[in-house]
Amino acid sequence: MLLVEDLHAGYGASEVLTGTTLQVKQGTLVALIGANGAGKTTTMRAISGGLKPNKGRVQLDGKDVQGLDASRIARLGLAHSPEGRKVFGPLSVEDNLLLGAYSRLPRFFGFRGKAQADLDRVYELFPRLKDRAKQASGTLSGGEQQMLAIGRALMARPKVMLLDEPSMGLAPVIVQEVFRTIRRLKEEGITLLLVEQFAKSALEVADYAYVMERGRIAVEGTPAELSRNERVIAAYLG
Amino acid sequence: MKRILLLRGTELIVFAGLATIPLLVVNPYALGLLTLLAIYGILLIGLDVTVGYLGQVNLAHVAFLGLGAYTAGLVVTKFGLGMGPALAAAMAVGLLLGGLLALPALRLEGPQFALATLSFAALSTTALNELESLTGGAQGLSLNRPPVFGHVLTPPLFYWLCMALLAVVWMLMRNMLSSQWGRAFEALRDSPIATDAMGVGTYRHKVAAFALGSGLGGLAGALYAFNFQYLQPQSFTYDLMIILLLGVVLGGRKSLWGAFVGASVIVLLPNLLSNRHLFQIFSGLGFAMALAAGVRGLAKKTTRPFQALAPVVAMGLLVVGGLFVENTEDWRKAIFALMLFSVVVGLPEGLMGFLSIFLAKLFRVPHAPLPEPSDIETILPPRPADGAPLLVIEDLKRHFGGVKAVDGLSMTIKSGAIHGLIGPNGSGKSTVVNVISGLYTPSSGRILLRGNPLPSGSLYQVSKSGVARTFQNLQLFGELTALENVMVALKGVYRSPLPLVLMGLARQEERQAQADALCLLDRIGLKDEALVKAKDLTYGAQRFLEVARALARKPDLLILDEPAAGLAHPDVVQLIEIIKRVHTRGISIILIEHHMDVVSELCDAVTVLDGGKVIAEGTPDEVKRHPKVVEAYLGQPVQPETGSGAEPLPA
Amino acid sequence: MNASIIGQMAVSGALMGLVYALIAYGFQLTYATSKSINFGQGELVMISAFFSLTLLNLGVPYWAMIPGGLLFGAIMGLVVERAGVRLALEQKSEGWILLTIIIGLFFFSAAENIWGRDDRPFPTPISADPIHVLGVDVTRLELSVAVGVLGIMGLIELFKRRTLLGKAFEAVSADRDAAELMGISATRTVMLSYALSGAVAALAGILVSPITTVGPTMASALILKAFSVAVVAGLDSGFGVVLIGMFLGALESLSSFYLGSGWREAPGLILLILALAVRPTGVFGKAVIRKV
Repeated sequence: MLLVEDLHAGYGASEVLTGTTLQVKQGTLVALIGANGAGKTTTMRAISGGLKPNKGRVQLDGKDVQGLDASRIARLGLAHSPEGRKVFGPLSVEDNLLLGAYSRLPRFFGFRGKAQADLDRVYELFPRLKDRAKQASGTLSGGEQQMLAIGRALMARPKVMLLDEPSMGLAPVIVQEVFRTIRRLKEEGITLLLVEQFAKSALEVADYAYVMERGRIAVEGTPAELSRNERVIAAYLG
Repeated sequence: MKRILLLRGTELIVFAGLATIPLLVVNPYALGLLTLLAIYGILLIGLDVTVGYLGQVNLAHVAFLGLGAYTAGLVVTKFGLGMGPALAAAMAVGLLLGGLLALPALRLEGPQFALATLSFAALSTTALNELESLTGGAQGLSLNRPPVFGHVLTPPLFYWLCMALLAVVWMLMRNMLSSQWGRAFEALRDSPIATDAMGVGTYRHKVAAFALGSGLGGLAGALYAFNFQYLQPQSFTYDLMIILLLGVVLGGRKSLWGAFVGASVIVLLPNLLSNRHLFQIFSGLGFAMALAAGVRGLAKKTTRPFQALAPVVAMGLLVVGGLFVENTEDWRKAIFALMLFSVVVGLPEGLMGFLSIFLAKLFRVPHAPLPEPSDIETILPPRPADGAPLLVIEDLKRHFGGVKAVDGLSMTIKSGAIHGLIGPNGSGKSTVVNVISGLYTPSSGRILLRGNPLPSGSLYQVSKSGVARTFQNLQLFGELTALENVMVALKGVYRSPLPLVLMGLARQEERQAQADALCLLDRIGLKDEALVKAKDLTYGAQRFLEVARALARKPDLLILDEPAAGLAHPDVVQLIEIIKRVHTRGISIILIEHHMDVVSELCDAVTVLDGGKVIAEGTPDEVKRHPKVVEAYLGQPVQPETGSGAEPLPA
Repeated sequence: MNASIIGQMAVSGALMGLVYALIAYGFQLTYATSKSINFGQGELVMISAFFSLTLLNLGVPYWAMIPGGLLFGAIMGLVVERAGVRLALEQKSEGWILLTIIIGLFFFSAAENIWGRDDRPFPTPISADPIHVLGVDVTRLELSVAVGVLGIMGLIELFKRRTLLGKAFEAVSADRDAAELMGISATRTVMLSYALSGAVAALAGILVSPITTVGPTMASALILKAFSVAVVAGLDSGFGVVLIGMFLGALESLSSFYLGSGWREAPGLILLILALAVRPTGVFGKAVIRKV
């Protein structure tokens, strides 16, 4: 469903990604792990269009999307919950969710009706969001904002979802809750690319994983293969 | 030497040529135009200071022209004084009022600054109109040119006076721009944050620059008054301001020659408009140039479609207008607008900018030879590394709204140590460093440097206290060379006050600065790249350059914020070498890093942060094994597993 | 001094001040989505007013002229965005300051030549007879200004809150990159903000012209004050502009009365410079945190 080939990208003079290749098959959860500065978030941004790649190819459901505007790629079925969550602070929880489905809904009136089913589904996954539906999302706690960001991505009914560092800045208890949710999404058959700093948590839920080091994939394999691989641990702390 | 001869030579020839004109040319109209050229030249050099060197849209300049003109007029008519006092007073008024306006205005972002200057201009016009007893109001003010040393100033004599003043201003500006002042202006455009952090007060330089430019505006105003010998407030309007901007942008920003070319264009403009034939030729030429540049840009893909086509459309409108419009005078504003639009979009560097690239390709002028590098002992004498506490942080807190980025941090950096600061993303490392270096004020808590409170909330003040830093996202002065980047930051070298600099008497300290900077570049391994612009260096070289620049501050404490970010392995090795060399000088270092190999090899002590709090402290080895650190970096599994969570990691 | 005369002047001035507030509101719309404003907005007000006058002279009834004028303003707003703003935004520069000034100058010159340099009266069916409200005399015309200003601001706020497109507008203002990830085109949203800003400017012109006449000089007269209001209130202050606008209008009216008409502009300008000096983000604005 998502194919990334020999991706090169960077900021100004520095090239952060030096030839990244990975793929996410439909209905699977793929983890992208690695130390800070390895290039994981840059990879996500290059896929979703926030950053234009210098070289290489990104294919979404068979269609080349590298170099397209982020909003265009989103409309083609890619939902990206970005690093730091980036909820629309002044807008309510419900408004954030509705905007997640922006590309599918009528622009002026009648959008709430059309989105009701999806909203209900998200509220069922995240009951706390329903309690706070009319609250300004900037006032939510970190964990709630993360739920909102995931819910917002789900509203798009995406072909592929990118989830960037969902655990960042969250207390361990909340992180566990987040990963419980990710497991549930996996059970429902979502296609997900997960970037995580916490290797162990990510490997727990993934079907397949890639380890990034200095802008390229150093090791890849199933979680079972990787947890025995010393290079993985070295890539993190060495 | 050759280079100086070539540049100064050209200037000398041009000015000598201009000086002989009254002897050759008899036509008084032409002489009048050339006099006006000199006056506008001074005016535009002044405007270029803010528009070119500070990169701001300054809409107040025409007001300084007017204020200077009226000041000169009043000095002569109401006080009965001569030319000298009139010129001096006009310039002083410009300097003073310019400084006063600059103080609030230059704290502002671009658009608000433009608005503040626009308001000042409107206020000045109102004042000139309403203070009738002083200025004559809308009726105007008549004055006579006072004699100089007993000689009545005939047109040729007045012309020589204006040209002489232009030459003097030219020389003074040239001296200023090739000194630390010129570097400071460029630096504060490229990175105001780094400029402050390197001990060059961004704000004070901007204010001085604006005041100086306005002073020149006032001087031009005085000459303007003596040229026309009649003043009215309506002369100094928004329309004229746009024409001045047109001159600066068309001629070329950041360039004395550009101001000169721009002044020529302004002076010739009225003729261009009144003579229809001339206008048609001119607009045709312009259209051809725009078309050529546009096609070339599109073919080479160096410009976006809009940038290539918009000037063509604008110039095309000029051509069409020239053919069909009855009276081009009526449309003068639209004509200026179209011309200025084409230049701003299609030729942003202006005519001189374009020419200088062209000429640089034709004539390769060798650079002046650099002096021998100074001795490192004189620049960075080794300091005692006695292990006493250098920097003490007590219960530091910093929050942004609800987010507690730093939540009660206490840390001690010992003199002469390399102290690592590590932690996962979002742990607060960068915030701590940003608070120490003065980018943010603490929400609560204290920071003491050698027992005294460190100034808070000001990068500039902190840098003066002996703390220097590098940045996680490079903040180099891209347009300056590697050498100049280091020269800007050098501490204790630039002692000459501005008047001496203007007169060109600060050359010795320039050579000293070059030698000192070269020595630092040499220590970093960048001596051969000294004359390369920072933006053209390789990424690794750029990272090293930031370190050299910080060292130029001769700091007691050096903060390195992820200096190895994005570096390839060989460069990481070189960086470690550089840091070790710095360490031998006795400079204390705070090192934020993700690369654990760098931290292990270099750091004497490590503090680990997570969620804004300290979770571990000790030597690198101790910290690597600490269970909380493992948990912070690798995370706990979702289901508690038997055994696998708390195993010690392989070293 | 007679208190009721002061009150009279203040109220009349405050109602005029609402026009400044409306133009300032237009600035806020574009600033929210793109951190840019049209420095030539005064000229946009002027040509929209002239266009509306032409519609009236062609026989279009007054109430049909209004949407026509607004549409024209919106289109002009789009022209400004395309020609003056988009390039600078792509290059992440502030070149739009100079470019919008230039476009404004072009509009000015075009207006001078198409409609002439004289001020012209702007007919209106709303009567200029005073009615007595709360102890002061106001004309229906002046009240219509208040109705128009508050009405359109209310409509746009409703749009922002109730339609999905409006919410998208707010999203782009809050976080441009995140909005793009939702499939919202930030460029199109900026275009929308400029179209709205243009329409709002056109309405300001329509509302004020019957009182002050239409002429090339109305541009500069209005714009500095609108700028003052926008900056003093803060470019992201929402309805703060209404309060500051009324305050400035009243202040101007009184200073014109006491100091003479030439000094009319002065308090506003001084206020602007002072406000910029003391609180650059505006009375109601929010502070900005620098990131390194």
